[in-house]
Amino acid sequence: MSEMSKAAPLPVMAPPRAEIPPRLRAISIVAVVGAVSVVIALTCGGYWLSNFTQAYCMALAVLGCALLYGQLGLVSLCQWALVGVGGWVSLRFYHYVHPPFVLTILVGGIGASVIGMIWGLPALRMRGLYLALVTLMLAGAFQSLVTVISFPVGGPGFLGQVGASGNDRINMARPFFASSDTAYFLFVAVVTVLCIFLVEIHRRSKPGRAWALIRKNEQMAAASGVRIVFYKAWAFALSGFLAGVAGALLAGLFGQLDGSAFPTTTSIVIFIGTLLGGYDVWLGAFLGGVLTRFIPALLIDLNVNTNAGFMIFGAALLFALRDPLGLGGQLTLLAERLYGKFQAQRAS
Amino acid sequence: MSLLPFIASGIGLGAVYALASVGLVILYRASGTLNFAFGAFGGVSAFLAWQLGDWDIPAPIGWIVGIAVSTALAYGYGRLFAPRLAHRDRVVRAVATLGLALFLFGGMALYWGIGVARRLVLPTDLSFVVLFGVRLSYTRLIALGLSLAMAGGVGLFLSRTRIGLAMRALASDRHISAAIGVRVTQIDSLAWLVNGLFAGIAGILLANISRLDAGTLTFLVIPAIAAAIMARLSSLPGAFIGGMVAGMIEALLIASSPEIANLRSAGPYIAALLFLMIVGTGQGVGARE
Amino acid sequence: MIKIDALTVQFGGIKPLDALEAEFSATICGLIGPNGAGKTTLLNVLSGFVRPVEGSIVLNDAALLGLSPQRRVSLGLRRTFQQELVVDELTAMENIQAIADHVSADHASARREVATALDFVGLSARRSMLGRQLNLFDRRRVEIAKTLIGRPKVILMDEPGAGLNEVETEELRRLLIQIPSAFDTQLVLIDHDADLIASVCVETLVLDFGKRLAMGPTRAVLDDPVVRRAYLGRE
Repeated sequence: MSEMSKAAPLPVMAPPRAEIPPRLRAISIVAVVGAVSVVIALTCGGYWLSNFTQAYCMALAVLGCALLYGQLGLVSLCQWALVGVGGWVSLRFYHYVHPPFVLTILVGGIGASVIGMIWGLPALRMRGLYLALVTLMLAGAFQSLVTVISFPVGGPGFLGQVGASGNDRINMARPFFASSDTAYFLFVAVVTVLCIFLVEIHRRSKPGRAWALIRKNEQMAAASGVRIVFYKAWAFALSGFLAGVAGALLAGLFGQLDGSAFPTTTSIVIFIGTLLGGYDVWLGAFLGGVLTRFIPALLIDLNVNTNAGFMIFGAALLFALRDPLGLGGQLTLLAERLYGKFQAQRAS
Repeated sequence: MSLLPFIASGIGLGAVYALASVGLVILYRASGTLNFAFGAFGGVSAFLAWQLGDWDIPAPIGWIVGIAVSTALAYGYGRLFAPRLAHRDRVVRAVATLGLALFLFGGMALYWGIGVARRLVLPTDLSFVVLFGVRLSYTRLIALGLSLAMAGGVGLFLSRTRIGLAMRALASDRHISAAIGVRVTQIDSLAWLVNGLFAGIAGILLANISRLDAGTLTFLVIPAIAAAIMARLSSLPGAFIGGMVAGMIEALLIASSPEIANLRSAGPYIAALLFLMIVGTGQGVGARE
Repeated sequence: MIKIDALTVQFGGIKPLDALEAEFSATICGLIGPNGAGKTTLLNVLSGFVRPVEGSIVLNDAALLGLSPQRRVSLGLRRTFQQELVVDELTAMENIQAIADHVSADHASARREVATALDFVGLSARRSMLGRQLNLFDRRRVEIAKTLIGRPKVILMDEPGAGLNEVETEELRRLLIQIPSAFDTQLVLIDHDADLIASVCVETLVLDFGKRLAMGPTRAVLDDPVVRRAYLGRE
């Protein structure tokens, strides 16, 4: 990049890669996720369908993580804990009120968003490393907490627990229009697309520009009138919201959530997925998220010890750090190059 | 209710956390990298020591092999991987060690399993002393003594020797240090070596005092980091004290009601969190990284 | 107009600014001095990034000290920096829009001001080019355009001419001279290029060791033997 600044002031030639225009990008989001989802819906049943549904939820979690890292350079290592918070809040809300499912999702999202902000805000004024540490510690604290208090299952009291026999457990119902496994999967796919759009809209408008300035240099951002804490908090809120939505969707998938299913390691794996997929493009979050679920599911299917998955992810992280684009980034670059060629040919 | 029994029972755990915390701070000061794999290095050391004992090899050889391997792992990482990330920011370098930690954790869990109840037995477990009504095995006292000696030794090394001076120079400003001839790679490697050594010993002790479990040992690093944070990632005495305090808080939580005991692992995190929020880190926006 | 009174900044044992008294009242003012004289520190105090231990700053009757950097921006303060601060992933227009988001009165005026600024600095044709595709001088133009948004009152520029060749410097000179009348604002300029300062700045403040060495009409100041000795003595 800096090599260009030393060039003589000649008019710059048309770049070899063209940024894909917004309308085409929007179509490609729907097309790609839609196509992949339709293929999955038609070919998978039972085990893989459930796992891909979970994978899409992971993609939402990764989307939030990628937002913080890609837009602001902030490392959050508690995203899975926020998914758990979202799941908890949505289950709690459901058992109190039995609302329409979409409302449950929103409440789950908002709950995780608020908790995420409370956790994250004090750390925002500190060096980036402290934020990573604080979020990791919070993931650990959440793991301890939720193992003890578990998730609401329709019982009395705030924690909603029932006796050890577990016969009185009430599952959260899926929405009436998406009760079969395939229908629910497609519903989750639609929510995923909507969330990707939500993030893209943020990125292309005022908050995205503010985040870009903050990322470049906080003093310069302040000197441009950007209220830094406010916009960082906004990013946190959005990232937490996405995690919460993922949690609510998982609660709907299984009907209940397991208190032992939210270990710290998964939050770390989500961050790894963020890097592997590529944190700068929506496709990166989608692919990265799917990978974080797909690999363990594949290992189980092949009867390989899932701890091998940790070894794979750990090693992948060491190599992913060298490539800032990630898988999604590389694919997007390819698409931009093709588009650039297409434009050049049309011009000639 | 007197606190003294809890303080006494927290001595062993505190000593391990103190050792870990000091090890982390030393490496951070020298290379700017917070090593998330510290606990995992310790775990490898402890598991190897246990495994060799399980194969009826005399225990001291097991310890030596364990500590040597953990030291070699750390040194190897410091020599081969860390330099490639030397130009990246601190967060990226720390996150890389997280990948290493996950890799080692996966390996240990794969080979030795998770949730299997094991403890690394040491000969010094058999004798004990009674302090404030609490039985303390010799192991815990040795842990305390060893921690003090190693932390003190490293402190003296940093302040009295030339290499120690070079290490402190590096911590203060890497580029200038390199420009005036400080052998950056050598000092870095030494810092990683010391880190691996501390980890190897801390791992064996923790596997005795707590549990020989891949998760427990790998995530030892979290309370150790909490303690290091309370020392602003820079003060050795502070790291030591922070570790001791973290251990005692955990002992206190274990000994109180069963519900709270389950949450005890959250204790150090919450303490560090509160500390950070109230006291801050002493750095603001625009402060030099 | 900026009035600076008894301004002192202390870092450890060093005083980058030492009881500085000065007044920037001309349309274009220069701020020069040998390396380490405190010029950028003064700009950082004006912007709100460095807190002085003593002294006061008044911008057109508004006391600045204690105000956040963002608040000062809303009062009409603008700033460019020594280093490259154009965002690579945003287009030229988006980079400028990014400040309009926070200082323009509403969407319509934001759009108008961004278009005007792009046109003024000569970037209209390249407004959709990404930051990383722009050369050094175009990036400078973006940074200058940013300062022109939202009714600026005082624009501080830190070495806008650094790294530019002769043709570009001449173009820069042409732009800078027109800014006060086109945008009804004041300009304070740091630069090492004495010719640029001489041809653009009406008055100039010379700093040395954080103190005021000289202040007055630019030509007189540059010819002042005291000033020359300060520069020559240091090199």
